[in-house]
Amino acid sequence: MDPKLTEVAQMFARFKAAYARNDLDACVTLLSQLKVQLTKFPSLPPLFQQAPNSVEELKLARDIYEHAVVLSVKLEDQDAFERDFCQLKPYYMDTCGIIPPSPEEYPILGLNLLRLLVQNRIAEFHTELELLPVKALEHPCIKHAVELEQSFMEGAYNRVLSARQAVPHETYVYFMDLLAKTVRDEIAGCSEKGYDSLSISDAKQMLMFSSDQELNQYITEEHPEWEIKNGSVFFQKAKESQPCKEIPSLQLINQTLSYARELERIV
Amino acid sequence: MPEDVEMNDSAATAAAADAPAPAQSTLHHLKEIASVIEAGSLSKEVRRISRAFRLTIALRRRLAARDVAAFLAFALPPSSEAFARLAALVPKEDGSEMDVDAAAPTAQVSIKHGLPEIEIYCYLLVLIFLIDNKKYDEAKTCASASIARLKSLNRRTVDVLASRLYSYYSDVHELTNTLAEIRGTLLALHRMATLHHDELGQETLLNLLLRNYLHYNLYDQAEKLRSKAPRFEAHSNQQFCRYLFYLGKIRTIQLEYTDAKESLLQAARKAPTTAQGFRIQCNKWAIIVRLLLGEIPERTVFMQKGMKEALTPYFELTNAVRVGDLELFRSVADKFSSTFSADRTCNLIVRLRHNVIRTGLRNISISYSRISLADIAKKLRLDSENPVADAESIVAKAIRDGAIDATIDHANGWMVSKETGDVYSTNEPQIAFNSRIAFCLNMHNEAVKALRFPPNSHKEKESAEKRRERLQQEEELAKHMAEEDDDDF
Repeated sequence: MDPKLTEVAQMFARFKAAYARNDLDACVTLLSQLKVQLTKFPSLPPLFQQAPNSVEELKLARDIYEHAVVLSVKLEDQDAFERDFCQLKPYYMDTCGIIPPSPEEYPILGLNLLRLLVQNRIAEFHTELELLPVKALEHPCIKHAVELEQSFMEGAYNRVLSARQAVPHETYVYFMDLLAKTVRDEIAGCSEKGYDSLSISDAKQMLMFSSDQELNQYITEEHPEWEIKNGSVFFQKAKESQPCKEIPSLQLINQTLSYARELERIV
Repeated sequence: MPEDVEMNDSAATAAAADAPAPAQSTLHHLKEIASVIEAGSLSKEVRRISRAFRLTIALRRRLAARDVAAFLAFALPPSSEAFARLAALVPKEDGSEMDVDAAAPTAQVSIKHGLPEIEIYCYLLVLIFLIDNKKYDEAKTCASASIARLKSLNRRTVDVLASRLYSYYSDVHELTNTLAEIRGTLLALHRMATLHHDELGQETLLNLLLRNYLHYNLYDQAEKLRSKAPRFEAHSNQQFCRYLFYLGKIRTIQLEYTDAKESLLQAARKAPTTAQGFRIQCNKWAIIVRLLLGEIPERTVFMQKGMKEALTPYFELTNAVRVGDLELFRSVADKFSSTFSADRTCNLIVRLRHNVIRTGLRNISISYSRISLADIAKKLRLDSENPVADAESIVAKAIRDGAIDATIDHANGWMVSKETGDVYSTNEPQIAFNSRIAFCLNMHNEAVKALRFPPNSHKEKESAEKRRERLQQEEELAKHMAEEDDDDF
């Protein structure tokens, strides 16, 4: 076996050992060394040069990046996640036929979908979704993300929240917690428009707070315009902005002038 | 004498179009086309080359191996590399000698050897012939050879033929499902076309690249290329239609529905009536996008001539969305799932679910001034563990997004619709009126821009006027002189 490959494999074994005993600092240092080592393999993307042990190299590299992605979730570092995922993606997309698909592929792709959802990058979410074959949509991890997006768009927020209990993979919990925060803001925004007032206990339940104190704190921090009196939350203040009945004169003048100009051109 | 040549040419075109096979052999036609190309090449008129290509397409069905072989022998110097390469690709047939000999003396066309336009034309002809005869491997060889040759040429008169060659090159690879392999070549060609200021080539290649990316659902890459590629006014209507279609598709995937709708409808409208398949595709996508926007396409869209059958699944889908019935929507989606997955619109249809609920909700809110949330859940047929809570949050979101105008009473568990105001008391009609006027004015301007004038006609007219003026002046001068002469005597 190639000495370079053995060296990287050994280093990766040390990384895995560090990961197993939850020594995250050691993991990070080892990972950056590993990434430097990977640049020395010519068979990896984007070069894809044919080499006698390119299959081993590709597999090892994919494995390393998969671990990098999972590690970034553990470190709760979204930027690192995006970086590592971008590096990992060519291994899923462009190496079919060279190496067999990885068992971790769909969980990680699903995780990425979830991340895009949390960051509210819906357009990218759908672009990624189009890349997946039909059978991938059946996979629980992908399906989970797709259904979440649907519930989110519909406004069935309680379905989003109950999905947290049924995560298909332990790494998903981090993003699901983030999603719960997004959902709370959404619910608050909707309630503001949908209700005149809510009793404090209802509001507490709807916004998923366990005590009145937390609710009070949230209201003062995020929505100081809400009013609490007689054991209810009143949203009315936000509704006061009536549609103004004024004639949009400037706009009308502009339009009429442009008609005149165009007509002059015709005649 | 440019006008005379023009006349002869159009006469030849008319003859070629009017008198089909029996009068003149295919070979004769090919030779005539070659002379058109030659004339175009010498006078540097791109229009003639494109006409030559159109004539070739008319001949396409009647091309036979012997015609192609004979034409190659006629058009290319026998010692040239291109001749050797192309002749090897065309299959030999026996018993062709007689025909060729009989045709040769009647055809009094002769052309100059060694014009690059003719050489490229030969490549194109052989390529078309091979594709029509389903000899894809040979076609690939031929296409790659022609692309290699094209890279060493830089003539504006070749561009028209080159852009056609690019399309066929990509076609062959699509037919053999090897599109991914040529992406690099296409990108290199696009760069070359940009450097040569070959705008038609750029247009064609950009479309081919977009098609290439979209074939593999690589919307991200397609959009990145599209947004960075240089844009200019379209040269070919067909390419522009394609561009609009691809653009519409990309925007649909990226949820920019309003822009997508515009592009798709424009593509469907601009496409020539003969491009039925293309128009059907455009319409399918346009229908889905309009549904996603919350619009309901008119019935006439589905009843267009020759499209009724293809659009039936989409018609039923529209119906389900219009009624706002989730159950019906689900059954339609299942019933035509094979069609939808063939059109690759499955994921879009999944997105539509949300619109079905919205429409249903809007219908409910119009019909009832007050309705309990449990009834809403029942009417929308929400099937989950906690339909009332679902209904409540869905209604709340619909209110926030402005889809319905209502309030929820949480304590009693019902929704109270607000009275809908008179639409004519708002600015709504004014806005609609403005957008229509803008559309008409824009159309007029586009029409004016699209008017075509033959080149130089403006100048010639001026010179004719000047000549008349000059003659008049000379006449007057002569008169004066005559008068002066008279005076003298």
